[in-house]
Amino acid sequence: MVNVDAAALAERKGPVGSTGQVDAVTARVIRSAMETICFEMAVYVSRTAISPILNQSNERNATILDSNGRLAALSVGIPQLMLQSTLPVRFALDFFGRDRFHEGDVFLGNDPYHGAGHLPDYNVYAPCFADGRLVCFASIQCHHADTGGSVPGGYNVTVDEVWGEGTRWPAVKVVDRGEERDDVLYALQANNRVSAFEGDIRAQIGAAQLGVRRLGEVLERYGASTFDAAVQWNIDHAARRFAEEVRSWPDGLYESDVYVDHDPRGNPDIHIHLAVRVDGDHLHLDFSGSDSRPELQAWSTFGNTRGYAIAALAALMDSTIPKNEGFFDSVSLHVPAGCVLNPSPGKAVSAGTHHPGIEVGEAIALALSQVRPERCAPQVYKTGIPTTIVGEHPRSGARFIDNSAEVYAGWCSAVKGTDGWGAFNAAFGNLWKATAEINESIFPHRQWSRDYRTDSGGPGRWRGGLGSHYVKEVLVPAKVYTYVVGMKYPMPGIAGGCPGEPNKLTLRAGSPEEVVVKDTADWVPVEAGDRIVYEYGGGGGWGSPLERDPDAVLDDVLDEYVSVEGALRDYGVVLTGSLEDLTLEVDLAGTELERARRRASGDGAAPGTMAVPGSGWSEPPSPEAGLLGGA
Amino acid sequence: MGYRIGIDIGGTFTDLICVGPDGEVLVDKALSTPGDQSVGVMNGLGQLAARLGCSLGELCSGIDVFAHGSTVADNTMIEMNGAAVGLLATAGHRDEIELRRCFKEEIWDPAAPAPPPIARRRARIGIDERIGADGEVVLPLPEEQVREAARRLRRLGVESVAVTFLFSYLNPTHELRAREILLEEIPELSQVSLSHEVLPKAPEFERTSTTLVNAYVGPRLAHYVTRLTGALRAAGYGGRVLLMQSTGGVMHSDYVARNAVSLLGSGPTAGVLGAARVAQAAGVGDFVSVDMGGTSYDICLVRAGEPEVSLDWNWRHRYYIGLPMVDVRAIGAGGGSIATVEAGSLSVGPRSAGADPGPACYSRGGRAATVTDADLLLGYLPAKGFAGGRMELDPDAASEAIHRNVAEPLGLDVVDAAWAIRRVVDATMADAVRRVLAGRGVDPRDLALVAYGGNGPVHAWSQALELGVSRVLLPRSAPVFSALGLLVADYRLEGVRAYVTPAGMIEPAKVRQAFAEMAEQAHKELDPAEVEQERVVTQCFANMCYPGQNFDVSVPLSDGPGFGDGDVAGLVERFHELHQADRGFCFRNNEPMLRSLRVLTVAGASSAPALAAAGEAPPAGGTAGSRRAYFGECFMDARVFPGECVEPGICIEGPAFIDEPFTVVVVPPGATAVLDEAGHFELSAAG
Repeated sequence: MVNVDAAALAERKGPVGSTGQVDAVTARVIRSAMETICFEMAVYVSRTAISPILNQSNERNATILDSNGRLAALSVGIPQLMLQSTLPVRFALDFFGRDRFHEGDVFLGNDPYHGAGHLPDYNVYAPCFADGRLVCFASIQCHHADTGGSVPGGYNVTVDEVWGEGTRWPAVKVVDRGEERDDVLYALQANNRVSAFEGDIRAQIGAAQLGVRRLGEVLERYGASTFDAAVQWNIDHAARRFAEEVRSWPDGLYESDVYVDHDPRGNPDIHIHLAVRVDGDHLHLDFSGSDSRPELQAWSTFGNTRGYAIAALAALMDSTIPKNEGFFDSVSLHVPAGCVLNPSPGKAVSAGTHHPGIEVGEAIALALSQVRPERCAPQVYKTGIPTTIVGEHPRSGARFIDNSAEVYAGWCSAVKGTDGWGAFNAAFGNLWKATAEINESIFPHRQWSRDYRTDSGGPGRWRGGLGSHYVKEVLVPAKVYTYVVGMKYPMPGIAGGCPGEPNKLTLRAGSPEEVVVKDTADWVPVEAGDRIVYEYGGGGGWGSPLERDPDAVLDDVLDEYVSVEGALRDYGVVLTGSLEDLTLEVDLAGTELERARRRASGDGAAPGTMAVPGSGWSEPPSPEAGLLGGA
Repeated sequence: MGYRIGIDIGGTFTDLICVGPDGEVLVDKALSTPGDQSVGVMNGLGQLAARLGCSLGELCSGIDVFAHGSTVADNTMIEMNGAAVGLLATAGHRDEIELRRCFKEEIWDPAAPAPPPIARRRARIGIDERIGADGEVVLPLPEEQVREAARRLRRLGVESVAVTFLFSYLNPTHELRAREILLEEIPELSQVSLSHEVLPKAPEFERTSTTLVNAYVGPRLAHYVTRLTGALRAAGYGGRVLLMQSTGGVMHSDYVARNAVSLLGSGPTAGVLGAARVAQAAGVGDFVSVDMGGTSYDICLVRAGEPEVSLDWNWRHRYYIGLPMVDVRAIGAGGGSIATVEAGSLSVGPRSAGADPGPACYSRGGRAATVTDADLLLGYLPAKGFAGGRMELDPDAASEAIHRNVAEPLGLDVVDAAWAIRRVVDATMADAVRRVLAGRGVDPRDLALVAYGGNGPVHAWSQALELGVSRVLLPRSAPVFSALGLLVADYRLEGVRAYVTPAGMIEPAKVRQAFAEMAEQAHKELDPAEVEQERVVTQCFANMCYPGQNFDVSVPLSDGPGFGDGDVAGLVERFHELHQADRGFCFRNNEPMLRSLRVLTVAGASSAPALAAAGEAPPAGGTAGSRRAYFGECFMDARVFPGECVEPGICIEGPAFIDEPFTVVVVPPGATAVLDEAGHFELSAAG
C-alpha cells in the first residue's frame, strides 16, 4: 500500500535558498500582486466553471506557493481549504522530482492520503519558471459535485475504506509542456457521474494557467531572486506578527476536550483531546489522547486536521496579518498516527473531514479561550453531512438529487462585543446558498420555513446566533440519506457563556411514522406531503448571561430571539407587561435581586454550561514528560 | 433655448455647471449643506446667477434642464437614519434579510459586526399565505391576519412598509391586496414598497433586500425632492428635476421618489458618463475610468463607449441591491489615505484623513502621513497656489509626519519614505483595477485610462505603467467633472418582468405581451413634455441561464414586441453564443431557461454640451519656471506649465508639471503630454 507521511511533508518548512535582496516596500508591493493574482484565479473559475457550486457558491480557493511548496499568498475562499493546498504540491515535488516539472505543465490531485482533505476537493496547480528555474506554483482548489464512488457527491459515510468513496488521484499531469493530456482528462471524466466535471476541471486548469502567466509578469518585472526574497520577507513578517501575539499570551498548558456525538455508525462520543502549550512565542499543539478506536468511521486526514488547526488560530489573531507559511512556522503540530485526526492510510474520510475535522477548530477555540477569550468564537458547523433527497421528478421523469444546499442558519457563536449573527460562521462567509425560489423551481418540494427559532442561541453576555426552524415538504415520494451530529454536543459557550440549542432532525414530522434521526438516515422513504423538519442548533454565548445588559435582553425578547421565559430562565431578567401588546419593560429591581440571588447561590452563573473535562489552567509539563512531540 | 444646469452634491462641495443658450459654459462650486442639501443647491444657483449678472428668478425661469446628482439616498444608508420600516413576508421567511444567503464580508474576523438593521425583527411579520413555484395559490391571503399585522406595525410607529411574498413576481395578487389593507389600516403610512414592483424576479433574498432598502430611503428622498422642487418653483423654475440613477441615466423626480433605491450608489456614475464622452471625442471606446479624490478611488470599465453594468452582486452599505447598476467599484485610496507601518510593513489606506483635518501639509491639525503629503515632498504638488490659490501646503509639516510615521519605523530617509508611500498606493490602486477587470476577463493592456478627480492626474501615469496601459486621457474639467456628466446623461429606465420557463416552452404571445406592456409603462413614465417620443429607444432582453445557474446572461432581442413563433431557436442560439463569449463555455445540448424579460428604455439627452475646458480663453505660450521633483532615483528639475498657458497640439516632454487650479498633471521622464482640441490632456510614452 502506498504510504505517504503527510506530517513529514508538513514539517518541511525550510526557505527557498535564494541570494536575492528585497526592501520592505517592494515586498509589500509583490505581496499585493500575489494576492491579486489569487483573486484573479478565483474569479476566473467563477466566470468559467459550469457547476453552481463553483460559479455561485464560491467554493474555490486560490493560493500561490513557493518552489518548496510553502504557502506564499492566498485569496478569497474558505480559510481551512486555502490552508490545505501545500501538502499535495510537496508530495508531487518528491514524487516527480524537480527536473520533471516543466514550463507549461499543469498537475492535479485530490487524494486525502497525499496531503488533501477529502476526495471531492481537487487541487490543480501549475509551476512557474524564470530563467529555466522553478520559482513558484499557482494553485487552485475546488469542491466538485461528484468524485465517483458508490454514492453521488462523494459522501458515502457507510464504507470502511477511502476506495469506496471515490477515485483517488494522488498527482497526475493534466497538461504536459502546454499539451493537454486528453487521456488523463478522459479518465477523469470517466470516473465522474457529473457531465460538467470535465468543464469544471478545465476552468481550474485555465485559472492555474492564468496564475502562471500573471506570475510570469511579476517575475519579469522584479526578477526571480527578488521574488523569492519577497516571499520570504512576507513569510517572516507574518511569522513575526504571529509570534508577537503568542508572546503576549501567558506561558502555560491549556487543554480542551471536544466530542462528536457519534460516527455515522452510531459509535458514540468521538473524543478529541488537545493540549496547547504556549511557550514564549511558540505554540505546541498536541492531539495525543484523541480517539483511535479502529471501528470508527470518522477520520480526518492529517492535511485536513492541519488546515482546520491553522484556520482556527488565524481567527484568533489580528485579521490583518498576511496569511502565509509564516502561520505554520510558529506552530508545532503533533497528531499521533492512527488517531481520528491522522488515520492510517485507507480509512474512509467522508464523514471525518467534517466531524471530527471541524471540531479541531472547536478544540483550539476552547483551549485558547483560557488565554484569549476576547477573540474566541469557534468557526464551526455541526452539519454532519447535507441531507440528500433522491426521487423521480414528476416533470421530467428523471432522477433528482436534492442536496439541500439551501440557506439555513446555525452555530454562529458570539464573540466578545458581538452577538452571533447571520446564517453561518465568518469562516464560511464566502458561501452563497440557494433559496426557496431557486430550489422549488428545480426540485419537487416546498420550503415552509427557515426562520430563526426563539431561544436557540446560547445565552451569554453576548448571545449566540440562532438556528433555523427549517421545514421542507416533499411533493413526491423520495428517499432521504443523512448523518446528524450536534445533538448531544451542541456549540459550546465561551468564557462563561452557555451552549447553543442542539440540532434535531425529524423526518415525516407530524405523521404516524415520524422518525427522529438518531445518527444516520440510510435512505429512509418519505411520502408526498411528508415534512422534513430540521431544528438547527444555535451558536454558543460569550460571557455570563447574568452580565448581559437587561435592555439588550428586552430588545431580544421584543424581537423574539429570546422568549419572556428565556429572559428569566437564562438571563435572570425580570420583565413586566405584555409582549403581545408591546408593553414589556425591564423590572430593574427585580432583575438585580434575581441576579444577585443566582450569583450568591452559584447557580446560573452559566446555566447549562457544558462541563469541559480537563480544561482550565494548569502547569506546563516538564520537558521530559514528552507530552508534546516535536517540542 | 434656455439654461441647462448640472448640480452634483459631494461631501464637501456642491459642483455646479451651467450651459447657456449659446453654449457658453460656466462652472462653480458651493459649500454643501448636509443638513438640507437643497439649501446648498439654491445657494449655488444664486452664485451662478450673480456671475451671469442676473437675478436668481431670471436664471430659474430660464432653465430648460435641471439635472441633479444627489447623495440623499446614500447618506441615509451611511447614517442609517431612514424611515421606520416594517416588513410583511411569507410566514417562515421573515428572516431572509438576516440570513443573507450565508454571506459575510469578513471571512477571517469572527468579531466583525452584523449590518445595522433596516427593519428590526419585531417589525417583520410572517403572513400565512403562499404562492407556489408555478404562480399558483397554495394558501390564500388571510386578510384578517394582514390587518392584525398592520395594526401591530402601526403601534410600532412604522412609516414605511415593505411586502415581500414568495413568488410574488409570478402572481402579485397577494402583495397588491396586502397594500390595500395596509393603507386602510395605517392611513398615515407614507410608502408601501411591494417586492414585485421594486424587483419582479427571483430569488427572495435579493428581492427582499432591495425592497427593504427602497422602503427605508424612499420617504427621506421623497421629502428632499419635495423641498427642492418647492424651492425651485418658488424661484421660478416650473419644470421637473432630473436625478441621476445608478443605472447611468437620469429620471424625473416623481419617478425617483417612488423608486428611491434606483438612486443608491449613483454618486460616481455621472463622472463615468463624462469620461465616456471625453473618450469618445478622442476616439477611444475601451477604457477604464478612475476617479481619485481625497478618500476613495472609483474604478469603472467602459467598453465601446458603454459603462459596464453589473446585473448582480451589487452590495451597497452592506445591503444587496438587485437593480442593474453602472459597475463602479471603490477602494479606500486617495490623497488623504493614511500611511501606517505595522511590524515593518507599510500600508496606505483605507483609512483617510479626509478633508478635515486632512493631510498634515494642510496645517489643520492632521498629524498622519498621507499620500498628499508624499506628493508634496516629492515635488509633484506646488506648495503655493494649491486648490485654485486658496490653500498653501506646508512641506515641513508633511516632512515631519512622514518622518515620524513612516521613515523612522522603516529606517528610511524622508524622501525614500515618501516614494514608498507613493509606490504602495499606486500598487494598491493598480491591483484594484486588475481585480475589477478580472471579473470581466479583460487585459488592462488593451485599454486606455481616463483619470479624473483631484488626484487622478497626479497618479495617472504611475497607474498606466503599473497596468501596462499606453494611453492616458486627463479631462481638464476634472474638478466639476461629475456635474458635467449629469448634462450628458440620457434618460434611462429599467423594467423587468419574471417569466420562468424552459426555453422550449416559451409562448411567444406572452413574450410579446410582456414587452408591449413594459414599453407602454416606460413611455408613460417619460413625460412627453420633456422627451420627444422619436428619441426614445427601447431595447429588449431575455435574461436566461442554464438550469441550476444563478446569474443570468441578458440576451438582446432585436424586436421584443414582435417576438414571433420562429424566434425561439434564434434566441437560444444567441444565448449559447453570449454565454460562450462571456463565461468561456456553452452547452449546446442543454436547454436553457428563460427567467425574466427586461426592457431598457433610453431617451437621448437634449443635445449635450461639448465638455470643453471651462474658464477663460488661454493666453498663449510661456512657462512658469520649474520644480525639483523626485521620480525614483534622484531629484531633478521639472518644468512647470500653468494650465491656462498650455496650447493645444504642443507636446510637453517629461519631466514636467501642468498646474491646474485643482490638480496637477504629472508628466514623468519618459512620458509626454499633449492638449487636444477638445481641451483634454493625453499622456503617452515618449518617442
